[in-house]
Amino acid sequence: MADEAILMKNVCKDFKVLNRHEGLKGSIQDLFSRDYRTVSAVKDVSVTVNKGEIVGYLGPNGAGKSTTIKMMTGVLEPTSGQILVNGLVPYKDRTRNCENIGVVFGQRSQLWWSLPLIESFKLLRDIYLVPQKEYEDMIALYRSLVDIEPILHKPVRQMSLGQRTLSDILAAFLHNPGIVFLDEPTIGLDVSMKSKIRDLIRGLNKEKHTTVILTTHDMGDVDALCRRIVIIDKGKKIYDNDIEHLKSYFGSYRTLRMRLGDDTWEERVIDEKTTDVMEVISQMQKTHKIKDIQLQEISTEEVIKKIYEGGSL
Amino acid sequence: MSLRKFLALTRAGIMESLHYRLGTIVTLFANLIYLVLVYYLWKAVYASSGVEQVNGMTFTDTMIYLILATALFNFLEMFVVWDMSRSIQSGKIILDLLKPMDFRSYTFWSYSGSHVVSFVLTFIPTFIVVMIVTRGAIHMGLNLLYFAISVVLALLINFGIEMLVATVCLYTESTWGINIVKETIVLLLSGASIPLAFFPERIRDVIGYLPFRAVYDIPLTVLLGKGGSDSLAGLIKLWGLQFIWAVVLYVAGVLFWNHSVKKITVNGG
Repeated sequence: MADEAILMKNVCKDFKVLNRHEGLKGSIQDLFSRDYRTVSAVKDVSVTVNKGEIVGYLGPNGAGKSTTIKMMTGVLEPTSGQILVNGLVPYKDRTRNCENIGVVFGQRSQLWWSLPLIESFKLLRDIYLVPQKEYEDMIALYRSLVDIEPILHKPVRQMSLGQRTLSDILAAFLHNPGIVFLDEPTIGLDVSMKSKIRDLIRGLNKEKHTTVILTTHDMGDVDALCRRIVIIDKGKKIYDNDIEHLKSYFGSYRTLRMRLGDDTWEERVIDEKTTDVMEVISQMQKTHKIKDIQLQEISTEEVIKKIYEGGSL
Repeated sequence: MSLRKFLALTRAGIMESLHYRLGTIVTLFANLIYLVLVYYLWKAVYASSGVEQVNGMTFTDTMIYLILATALFNFLEMFVVWDMSRSIQSGKIILDLLKPMDFRSYTFWSYSGSHVVSFVLTFIPTFIVVMIVTRGAIHMGLNLLYFAISVVLALLINFGIEMLVATVCLYTESTWGINIVKETIVLLLSGASIPLAFFPERIRDVIGYLPFRAVYDIPLTVLLGKGGSDSLAGLIKLWGLQFIWAVVLYVAGVLFWNHSVKKITVNGG
């Protein structure tokens, strides 16, 4: 019990959606319609996350990721199943649950738009009732991890997207929560900012043993931060294990790259269990001249893409 | 300890409002134009009636009432409905829901700072100008204290109305029309645009018990020492009406919100 930050057991979430009709006539019909259908956004998902873990929570758009996160934060109530976050039932104890979680949504900011960042920090300090000593320690920790001086006194609305995201992440960790939910934290950022943010997240996780739930579509984030990933698709959990394991789980795939006579690289993803690599090369050699051959481990990105597309390549 | 949270929100609200100082100046200027219009409109009304007093109010009474009503309107005006519908559509509301506070008090205290600023920057200057122009037509005494109490109650009632309408946003996801209807009803029935004395007697009897009157008319009545507010019994009657509505709207708002928030589906993400 003590080691579990999040416990989800057979969680389901259904939504009632109005069946909309087409055209103007349809729109008028909809005004009086009681014609609902049930959409299952999350189906029977069970996940346990231990304290201090960084878990990548992946899935294609519309898979039910946000719905799950909203249930874990207490905004949504599950239709059935059990959720415990830091030992609390989130939707019943929403306020207390909120005291012990932090959230970052890459596309939205919780900071006070027209005020300098430091004022948002002070405000959050008071809202979360953080003792002054802990607040100062946290700011000191931030200083040691990133260069916050240039942004500390800058109004949030004047910040670049990268600075704003960085600030939002710092704001989410400010009250030293047990769990932080990061929803696409690196969306829209440049390469160097992405790596800065990854370092920051890793640093904070290490220093404070904060559990991090990371949803992202950027496999670079996953490779850099997560040892374990959970994948859901169409509301169902389809993978929950180490990231290394992932690459062999869906077949022993490798990428075969061949440089042909006209200096172009030809790429093939091959399942070594079912296809013979040499066979492919000799087939290719019959029609093309091969100058160079490389055999690479498949990237996480490609594995994930395969999974999202339904397992066949 | 809650007080620390509340005051922090008030403080941030004050800073945010001061940040948009140009907006305050524009509001003052817009008021000036509006009041010139009101002045000539009512001047014409009184000229055509041919008598000194209409419904027991002289021209000066009416002007003082309407100028203070406008100032009070700027001070009490809230944008909860408007802001909430925007944050529901953009999905930003989830960030407010995830604050470790009751959503209702979080919203209330977030707005409190801007009320403080508009009280100081629009209401007080207007009050002083009215005092100077009318050469002390407003009695300065305990009625100022009574007025302050009445204004706090008005603020709570106004917030209660706003929150009820804003909760409807959770269902409709579009609120422009509802908001316009609400504003029109409040402006007309609260005395903010026409002194309630000008309504036909039967309608006035009904309006007298509605919550809208408690927002603008009652504080002004108390300030101007009218409507029986010069006696303690009359004062308690007015405060009592405000208090009852504040409680009713609070209870209704909390129940409606708690019921509705379960239905919430935050857009996007």
